[in-house]
Amino acid sequence: MKTIIEAGRPRLASQLREIIQYRDLLVLLAYRDYRVRYAQTVLGFTWALIQPLLTLLIFILVFQKAVKVDTGTIPYALFALTGMWAWSYFAYVITQAGQSIVSSQALVTKIYFPRLIIPLSKGIVGLIDFMIVLLLLLLLLVWYRFVPGINVLTLPLWIIAVVLFSMAVGTWFSALTIRFRDLQYVIPFLVQIGLYLSPVGYPSSQIPAQYRTIYYLNPMAGIIDGFRWSLLGTPLPETKFLLYSGIIILLLFISGIYYFQRTERQIADII
Amino acid sequence: MENAITVTGLSKKYQLGRKRSGSFRETMSERFSGLFTKESNEAGLAAEFWALKEVSFEVKPGEVVGIIGKNGAGKSTLLKILSRITAPTKGRVEITGRVSSLLEVGTGFHPELTGRENIYMNGAILGMKRNEIKSKFDEIVAFSGIGQFIDTPVKRYSSGMYVRLAFAVAAHLEPEILIIDEVLAVGDAEFQKKCLGKMKDVSEQEGRTVLFVSHNMAAISSMCNTGLLLSKGEIEFKGNTQDMISRYLEQIIQMPSTSSTVKKSGLTFIRINTVNEIGEQRTQFGFSEPISVKMDFSNLTDKQAVNIGLAIRDATGKKLFTTVFLKEHLFKGDHFVQVRIPAKTLLQGHYTADIALFDNYEAYDYLEHRISLIITDADSSLRNYKAEEIGSIHIPCEWN
Repeated sequence: MKTIIEAGRPRLASQLREIIQYRDLLVLLAYRDYRVRYAQTVLGFTWALIQPLLTLLIFILVFQKAVKVDTGTIPYALFALTGMWAWSYFAYVITQAGQSIVSSQALVTKIYFPRLIIPLSKGIVGLIDFMIVLLLLLLLLVWYRFVPGINVLTLPLWIIAVVLFSMAVGTWFSALTIRFRDLQYVIPFLVQIGLYLSPVGYPSSQIPAQYRTIYYLNPMAGIIDGFRWSLLGTPLPETKFLLYSGIIILLLFISGIYYFQRTERQIADII
Repeated sequence: MENAITVTGLSKKYQLGRKRSGSFRETMSERFSGLFTKESNEAGLAAEFWALKEVSFEVKPGEVVGIIGKNGAGKSTLLKILSRITAPTKGRVEITGRVSSLLEVGTGFHPELTGRENIYMNGAILGMKRNEIKSKFDEIVAFSGIGQFIDTPVKRYSSGMYVRLAFAVAAHLEPEILIIDEVLAVGDAEFQKKCLGKMKDVSEQEGRTVLFVSHNMAAISSMCNTGLLLSKGEIEFKGNTQDMISRYLEQIIQMPSTSSTVKKSGLTFIRINTVNEIGEQRTQFGFSEPISVKMDFSNLTDKQAVNIGLAIRDATGKKLFTTVFLKEHLFKGDHFVQVRIPAKTLLQGHYTADIALFDNYEAYDYLEHRISLIITDADSSLRNYKAEEIGSIHIPCEWN
């Protein structure tokens, strides 16, 4: 095994090869987070169910009872939970990834491994809660005797989209937080705003047509619409909006890795 | 044979005085002030600090290299670059084989996880594959002596158990190249001893390459076959360990000794010499030779009484003993004192000495490590032992 250490940015190819080399670590870091998360709590993993359930309850109270959002023939609970399913994964991953490097200082200043593994592992841990919410969603589908149409076959595609987008934003945030600790305070705020700027509790059809171009600059809008389309058969946004989202996700992902790499080499010096 | 490590033109620059981890606002205001003024740019340049400058060296497989130097000489920076924690500013390093450093012991341990889980976690962080850990798992557990507690969260472990487990994982990593920074090593004395023992095994029995940073000259001279002396980020000497240590001790003498002199009192050392029995100036003495330290000092005002002190330190910097002489009625002018350390007092090894002028109220002059001594022993019955085995001081005792 030969290692070459040079000034400047490491080559992308050798970086990716290293990440594959350290794939066990990627899984183990995710496992550690998952194990530690509800350690010594009385309710343990029930928390992973309680959180979405309570949020759902509040959404029903606010959007269905108070605002009286119209979701047509689809039961509101089912409608909202589908949105929350994608959104809570995204919110979890970007919050966790954002502070991930800074909070593993002890590791990062003492030993080498591809640092990108740290934020990426958050994308994997998030999948556990994602599965738990899916369970809840399946229960609701059975409860309402709602049978998804053929569109449901495209669901994996939307899941890949939300994972990619979350990791892209997570990578950006984790690298930015190393330099600007301010992000630690900004991210929770962004998550809060994003919840209302995305069609989680209301249908995107309520957004006036002239604002849609701006609205769909947020890829989560297109992704959540996609989740609903595949599960509940609600209409998809215009193709050009989906195209925008796809391009934005890819650009963010690639630039995120690029920026992360630039910062990575200085982590031990500036953290 | 291919080198284990080849370092060419390695340099590392740090920015001083400018916080790189600054907030967003700071960076933005810096950017903007940079737009309008040139000074800020120049100020930035002035605050550069080269921790390493054009360092080049080679290490052959199986070599045990001791790296020494004063604080801030660049030892830790060099190790950090070699273990890839930080990136160099210039230069290139080629490493053949897996690198591991013992300062990583226990890195990544999580208190909530069990011993078993932490072994896998820690192993993966150190770069081991899961199968590799699996195959060594029983051995690691046996080595650590954790036994039945292996499925208990490590936060319930005693600190001793914790360190043993952490060390067991690191010890089974089997790196081709081992990096040890004793200066940074944490843990109790016993643990440090264990690290040194492991290092000895690794280098002597398994023929692995070791880089060892220490301030302990005795450890360096007993373990390393070559040495690297760093000074202000540059290599000052590379080669034979003994020669390197002598150079290092000389360097300490030339160092403007940390003097806390209160000049107003006007009592300072002028000249210090160490001489042998026949008055020849020396730094190297035989075990059976007496050592005389001659001190000239000047006094600007008459004083009631002044103490003159000499403290001998061993190669690790620990003070071994102090001798003090009370000089009464010290008049204005230059003075001379001489202290004789009897023959057969210091066993073979490297020593430094602090000297001081003081009274009950204040220290007039205090020079740390001002004197450096090398004691050689060719004839006594103790010559074959090392300082860590028999200590540093010889006291004649009577046996019947």
